[in-house]
Amino acid sequence: MDLIDNILKGERAAIAKAITLVESSKYSDQQISRQMISELIKKPGKSIRVGFSGPPGVGKSTFIESFGSYLVSQNYKLGILAIDPSSQITGGSILGDKTRMVEISKNPNTFIRSTPSRGSLGGISMGTREASIILDAAGYDFIFIETVGVGQSEIVASNLVDIFTLIVGPGSGDELQGIKKGITEYADIFIVNKNDGELKIEASKTAADYKSALSYYKKLDELEKQVLLVSAIEQTGMEDVIKTINQIIDQNKLKGIFEERRANQLEYWIEEEVKNIIASDITKRLSSKGNISKYSEKVMKNEMSMFEAVETITKDTLK
Amino acid sequence: MTNKSNNGFNTWQKSFEKETKKNFIDARSETDEGIDIKPVYTKDDLENFSFVENNSLPGQWPYTRGPKASMYTNRPWTIRQYAGFSTAEESNEFYKKNLESGQKGLSVAFDLPTHRGYDSDDDLVMGDVGKAGVAIDTVEDMKILFNSIPLDQMSVSMTMNGAVLPVLASFIVAGEEQGVDRSLLSGTIQNDILKEFMVRNTYIYPPEPSMKIVADIIEFTSKEMPKFNSISISGYHMQEAGADNVLELAYTLADGMEYVRAAMSKGLDVDDFAPRLSFFFAIGTDFFMEIAKLRAARTLWAKIMKDFGAKNERSLILRTHCQTSGVSLTEKDPYNNIIRTSYEALSAILGGTQSLHTNSFDEAIALPTDESARIARNTQLILQNETGVTKTVDPLAGSYFVENLTEELSKKAWDIITEIEELGGMTKAVKAGIPKLKIEESATKKQAKVDSGSRVVVGVNKYKNPKEPSVDVRVIDNNRVRDDQIKKIQAIKESRDTTAVEKALANLTNAAKDETNLLAPCIEAIKLRATVGEVSKALEQVYGRHFAKSLSVSGVYGKHFEGDQEFMKVENKIKEFENLNGRRPRVLVVKMGQDGHDRGAKIVATSFADMGFDVDMGPLFQSPRDVAKDAIENDVHAIGVSTLAAGHKTLVPELMKGLKEIDPKSKIIVFVGGIIPEQDYEFLYENNVSAIFGPGSNIIESAEKVIDLITDNLSKV
Ligand code: B12
Ligand SMILES: Nc1nc2c(ncn2[C@@H]2O[C@H](COP(=O)(O)OP(=O)(O)OP(=O)(O)O)[C@@H](O)[C@H]2O)c(=O)[nH]1
Ligand SMILES: [Mg+2]
Repeated sequence: MDLIDNILKGERAAIAKAITLVESSKYSDQQISRQMISELIKKPGKSIRVGFSGPPGVGKSTFIESFGSYLVSQNYKLGILAIDPSSQITGGSILGDKTRMVEISKNPNTFIRSTPSRGSLGGISMGTREASIILDAAGYDFIFIETVGVGQSEIVASNLVDIFTLIVGPGSGDELQGIKKGITEYADIFIVNKNDGELKIEASKTAADYKSALSYYKKLDELEKQVLLVSAIEQTGMEDVIKTINQIIDQNKLKGIFEERRANQLEYWIEEEVKNIIASDITKRLSSKGNISKYSEKVMKNEMSMFEAVETITKDTLK
Repeated sequence: MTNKSNNGFNTWQKSFEKETKKNFIDARSETDEGIDIKPVYTKDDLENFSFVENNSLPGQWPYTRGPKASMYTNRPWTIRQYAGFSTAEESNEFYKKNLESGQKGLSVAFDLPTHRGYDSDDDLVMGDVGKAGVAIDTVEDMKILFNSIPLDQMSVSMTMNGAVLPVLASFIVAGEEQGVDRSLLSGTIQNDILKEFMVRNTYIYPPEPSMKIVADIIEFTSKEMPKFNSISISGYHMQEAGADNVLELAYTLADGMEYVRAAMSKGLDVDDFAPRLSFFFAIGTDFFMEIAKLRAARTLWAKIMKDFGAKNERSLILRTHCQTSGVSLTEKDPYNNIIRTSYEALSAILGGTQSLHTNSFDEAIALPTDESARIARNTQLILQNETGVTKTVDPLAGSYFVENLTEELSKKAWDIITEIEELGGMTKAVKAGIPKLKIEESATKKQAKVDSGSRVVVGVNKYKNPKEPSVDVRVIDNNRVRDDQIKKIQAIKESRDTTAVEKALANLTNAAKDETNLLAPCIEAIKLRATVGEVSKALEQVYGRHFAKSLSVSGVYGKHFEGDQEFMKVENKIKEFENLNGRRPRVLVVKMGQDGHDRGAKIVATSFADMGFDVDMGPLFQSPRDVAKDAIENDVHAIGVSTLAAGHKTLVPELMKGLKEIDPKSKIIVFVGGIIPEQDYEFLYENNVSAIFGPGSNIIESAEKVIDLITDNLSKV
């Protein structure tokens, strides 16, 4: 495919078109997309994929603008996939991320793509994983994935990246109670943003809260989780972030964790794909046979029990 | 005994209900402000007031009836037309002509690069120089602007907020070099930065340092320029951006309170500066509402200033300039605008304004021509000389309706002011983006009313003129203006003492690091012929440049059209499109160059999203190349350029070039909305623009055309 060559050459329009393909809900696009991804996967680049998640409005986009500017000033090439939470269920969506990444979006060494999340699970849109494969093949050093943190989403998002970062705001220490259980499982770095002006004291306090909570849950053989204080607006703390990212990546590579994670993610991906295919196949079969309405009528009329109906339909569908 | 229980009223109500076949209660109509207007008002409606005092007199507490006892019976309002275009030379000629024809004060409109602190030779402002106002790069331009206009006799109003320091400094130096001491300069500088962050968009630095600059200017003028108004606290731009009258009133007064606090934090006594605060309101088409608004503004401000501990009576009095509404004027059937403006002007006069600008009928087409400006000015001359409105002070006092409306507006505005105060004041509210969002919401509602036809705009959605008249348009050759300005800058840079300038600029940067007043070091730099851009950059080194984080309303437009056939038709086309193409139609809506008119772009974006488009919203002030990059990376189907400040002929071809440079095979189509004079249509079409949507375009119809064009374009291989 021409498209693949052009992606490998790093052509902006080709990358963009390819991402459209992987996001498409059209069957023929999906076919092309699979072929393309299979090819691209054979030509892996060197990119490090970093996830940034956190509650709405903590400053994820602003942080990415700020941190990203720092990285491109060090001559790194940076791809950004922003999953915009602003989509509505009924209508279309307004993708406003670019109004928060003004400086960085001008830079020729960046590629920034916003995608409406369409309310899909975990704020990860269809195609995010594939999009990062495209950017990787196109030669980007870092790939940032911005997602809104809502409950389950972090787990899904962390499955797409090499390093997962949770951004929180000053005063969020209280919410810690609720989330600390699983927190060490998936986040590698905790960034307390808005460490500036009147919020400084509160931010330090929040960082301390996180540190103590994290050390409490730390597993024996694990590295100490990092809690960093930054101000996206004042662009402070950025060196620490890159230093920490590099440190963790080096450590993980050394210990084989890096590869292990990628292998697990691949496993997870394959499993997901298989599940998806089976699920859509089953859905098709179900609707073509019309069993559901047929048997639920019987249940309504007390001709059979609800569980009998379930069993019968299942058997018939899997036949 | 109250009126309602008396027989007279009951009989009236019966007759009313018989005539209208409507219940008296249902016959009320709701205004944009959420005030229910009754079909009749009576003496009862003058009761239970908490703000308006029924028997007050003009020039007396609470000043509802006017700042002065005699008002226009002694001296009519000042006719002050806002104008400025291209070069200082041309603007100067224009001012002199106007002064000869009966205008009393001067009001300078600067071009957008000047507003935003860029010199004319800056690459960032290529399409903007001299387009929407006069370009001022150095004090030499300022001197030309006031050539043969004696600054000790002429009061000069300057609409300047972002680059307020270098521009006020240039004015002071120009005066001094004319031989006029700064203490003799009279006039007003707008210096109202908060509303820039909300609606006008010519800010430079972030909110906090910007507020410090405002306070510096209030401090400096209160000490050295006793005849000069240090600030013009402006609601005008809010209404023009879509705010209803309550929002306009509340936010303006809340801004005022914030400035008072900023000045007091400099150690000034409130009476040292409060008499020199002035206001600026818009006068729209809601005739009585606008009258009530001015009366309510004076009433509330008196109370606010008393609470600040003002002792001098002059501190309590709100004096205001007004301008008729530009947004009420239409591109279609433009002579109607003369009529609209006349009524709005009358409203401002009955409300008791101190000075007035009346818009030209070609407002929605381009900057005014000499001819249209003359008619606009004559509107006021006729009011002053032929109608008798100057003979009685506050003639509507005692009107059940107007007094009641004044009270209602005051109450509603006071509630919002209280809310903002509880939030911690306007700077905080503005930083959080709340007022901007509220104004955009209000603007979106207004648009929905017009598009659905529930609000009639003559000549636009009803009573259309089958034979649109063609009108003359002022054309500005901005390339020539830019070249001239660049030559002037070069000449000055060659002849000035460079080391001295550099030292002065370094001084300024240092001053910005401490808390010293910045105007004095600015004056020094300007005197040495530093440019407006250089001065702005010297401060930017310390403060940085502000980038607005813009939020968007959603669902407001769509809600108005539930069940609407036309709306659903577009929705269905979009669904069909999605089924066919695997994604929704995706449109990037952008503002390029220094044009800060974002009302249209924001409304179109939110309405399109409500219909089902995926809309990428670009930030303000993008360059065509940045837009091309954004568009291609997001693989949008189309770019919608919203352009109102006349940069389109430079910016659109640049965008086309940018697209082709990144992707020679790019199939992204481009359409343009905003202020496009008819004679430019062909130029744009020749540059491959697919469609043009001028002022007054129905958004649903526009959306349908856009989806059709996108579909068409995709089917071409
Ligand atoms: C409102 C307004 C303002 C507000 C702007 C508030 C805001 N945040 O937007 C305020 C008061 C702040 C303002 C200020 C200025 N203004 Co002004 N303003 C207007 C005014 C009166 C109305 C514009 C408007 O918002 N209309 C309502 C919206 C909904 O309509 P619209 O934008 O035209 O959009 C419709 C269509 O055009 C189309 N459309 C537009 N964009 C798009 C995009 C897409 C994708 C699609 C499909 C359709 C579409 O659909 C929309 C719905 O119908 C116009 C005159 C006029 N009557 O049009 C002058 C006007 C645009 N302003 C003008 C000027 C000069 C200025 C200043 C530069 C003055 C100065 N020197 O200081 C300042 C600076 C502003 C800045 N930062 O750029 C001039 C521009 C002159 C020119 N083009 O030659 C005008 C034309 C007035 C005049 N005749 O002098 N202004
Ligand atoms: N004080 C302070 N404010 C910040 C900082 N970073 C971001 N903000 C503000 O927080 C708000 C939200 O910032 P965004 O970057 O849009 O946040 P986000 O997390 O990307 O938001 P969503 O994408 O909507 O979930 C904006 O008003 C920013 O100005 C910071 O470092 N300090
Ligand atoms: Mg974001």
